[in-house]
Amino acid sequence: MDIRFEQAGLRYGPQIALQPLTLTLSERRIAIIGLNGSGKSSFARMINGLAKPTTGRVIVGGLDTIADAKAVLGKVGFIFQSPQNQIILPVVRDDIAFGLKNRGLAKPAVEAAVEAVLERLGARHLADRRAHELSGGELQLAALCAVLVTGPDILILDEPTNQLDLRNRGRVETMIGDLPEKVIVISHDLALIDNFDRVLVFDQGRLVADGAPGDSIPRYREIAR
Amino acid sequence: MQSLYVDADSWMHRASPRLKLGALAVLGVALFATTDLRILAATLLAGGVLYLNVGMTWREALRRLQPVLLTIAFVTLFSLLFTPWHEAAVTVFRLVTLTLFAATLTATTTIAAFVDEITWAATPLERIGLVKAADIGLTVGLVVRFVPEIVGRYAAIREAHEARGLKIRLRTVLVPLVILTLRDADNIAAAIDARGIRRH
Amino acid sequence: MSTRDLVLSALFAAIIVALGLLPPISLGVIPVPITAQSLGVMMAGVVLGGRRGAVAALIVVLLVAIGLPVLSGGRGGLAVFAAPTAGFLVGWIFAALVTGYMSERLVKPEQSNIAQGVGFFIAAVTGGVVVLYAFGIAYLAIAANIGVSKAFFGSLAFVPGDLIKAVVAALVGRAVMAGYPLLPQRS
Repeated sequence: MDIRFEQAGLRYGPQIALQPLTLTLSERRIAIIGLNGSGKSSFARMINGLAKPTTGRVIVGGLDTIADAKAVLGKVGFIFQSPQNQIILPVVRDDIAFGLKNRGLAKPAVEAAVEAVLERLGARHLADRRAHELSGGELQLAALCAVLVTGPDILILDEPTNQLDLRNRGRVETMIGDLPEKVIVISHDLALIDNFDRVLVFDQGRLVADGAPGDSIPRYREIAR
Repeated sequence: MQSLYVDADSWMHRASPRLKLGALAVLGVALFATTDLRILAATLLAGGVLYLNVGMTWREALRRLQPVLLTIAFVTLFSLLFTPWHEAAVTVFRLVTLTLFAATLTATTTIAAFVDEITWAATPLERIGLVKAADIGLTVGLVVRFVPEIVGRYAAIREAHEARGLKIRLRTVLVPLVILTLRDADNIAAAIDARGIRRH
Repeated sequence: MSTRDLVLSALFAAIIVALGLLPPISLGVIPVPITAQSLGVMMAGVVLGGRRGAVAALIVVLLVAIGLPVLSGGRGGLAVFAAPTAGFLVGWIFAALVTGYMSERLVKPEQSNIAQGVGFFIAAVTGGVVVLYAFGIAYLAIAANIGVSKAFFGSLAFVPGDLIKAVVAALVGRAVMAGYPLLPQRS
């Protein structure tokens, strides 16, 4: 599933968040790095349509993020930074199931899908727990289940290890390695992404480096100095 | 948060929620249509029998009603100063009867059943664009989900105050509580939208 | 309603519920502890504005109706609506609506602190006392069959406490507007 930016840019009034950009993302593991305010978050949010391009367009798997917004959401899952704001119902199982509502699935089908994703991510033990009793790492795992249950082809993770302790960081790293979906990670955690297929570096709304980790990461270090 | 539903099995539990709500509404009107103390006493007795057979201990059943019954008692005593005892008795019988039947309904109907009924009742409103019926279940879930977080946040703010030797004043606690809680709204809304939950 | 507005209203409803769970807090000036839940309703108006504040209060009333013990003291369920004081509960919706709409119109970020405080106070009293008591007294008069004037005088005792809450709500509204402004501005 390809992601194409066709002269796609984003501005909020006078402020340019992302300069118009043309590129195609087809690699399996892609990292997006940059300082705060560099445009990396805007770029990522334009992929699932959370931010709509103010110029140009973004095409995901043949779907336009403006014209086919709803369909794009079905193809792209997004995991946010703060774990506790992603589980929105009291019990984890109900939260995961809620993502399948309004899809016309019968109750047994929904339950089966929930069980399947819990099994797949080794999260069975979280299913009947209450969200407010869970740690950051457990919440992140639950959020991953909630997002993957709808079967997206692409998964975007925004700073997934930011608020996690060392053990949970290791878990996330392993999990990312195992996911068959195409994964795009925004991260300050350079060790997490050093074996990715492609690393994009953003600075002040512009793409300043794009290539293998060995090439892009040093460029980022230069900017960060 | 424990709901007020009593997990038991009685004919009242099995009755359709819509039927029960309809019956309660009709009862409410009927109670205010009559002033016959004998009829009212009979309905009160019926209500009492139903309520005490819902599946709770009598102690728990009465504990639940304590605040409402106290209010009714207080207001009745107050009204006895101005109205003849017969009228006051009619009022007391009415209110207590209504209370008993209402409490019975609450104890025999699950939260999920209530949410379904409200969602169904809201569908005509959806047609005129006032609400999205499916949002009701989401909203109830959101509140129950985040109440413990807010209570925890309050405890943390209190702790911070104590650590700094500050007295716990309403204003210095409420302002950070409100701001910190509402700041999360954008993130929560983004997560909901990213999962396509409200795309009807 | 936008997702953000829905979440804001739901979170404030959660704040109102949480305030009912907390033990009464003292005000500092007055040694009598005050239950903060009705204060929460006024705050919903001054912080979120009319529409979202009213929705927040509506959500709380809904939670009571479906059987959750969210009112202070663990009260909940349909029995609460059978009490003669039920008007003071349902009235919350209209209290928040009026407080909110008045806040949107009376209070601007450019005003001085004092002007903002006064504006919020007027909004909080109009909604949280005048409108709320109108609903409460009307229902009390009918359900308890004591007539409006008796209901009115019987309820007067609670007004001073609610006026104090209006002051607190105004101060909170002003501080929140400075720190995290959410109030939609209408002239």
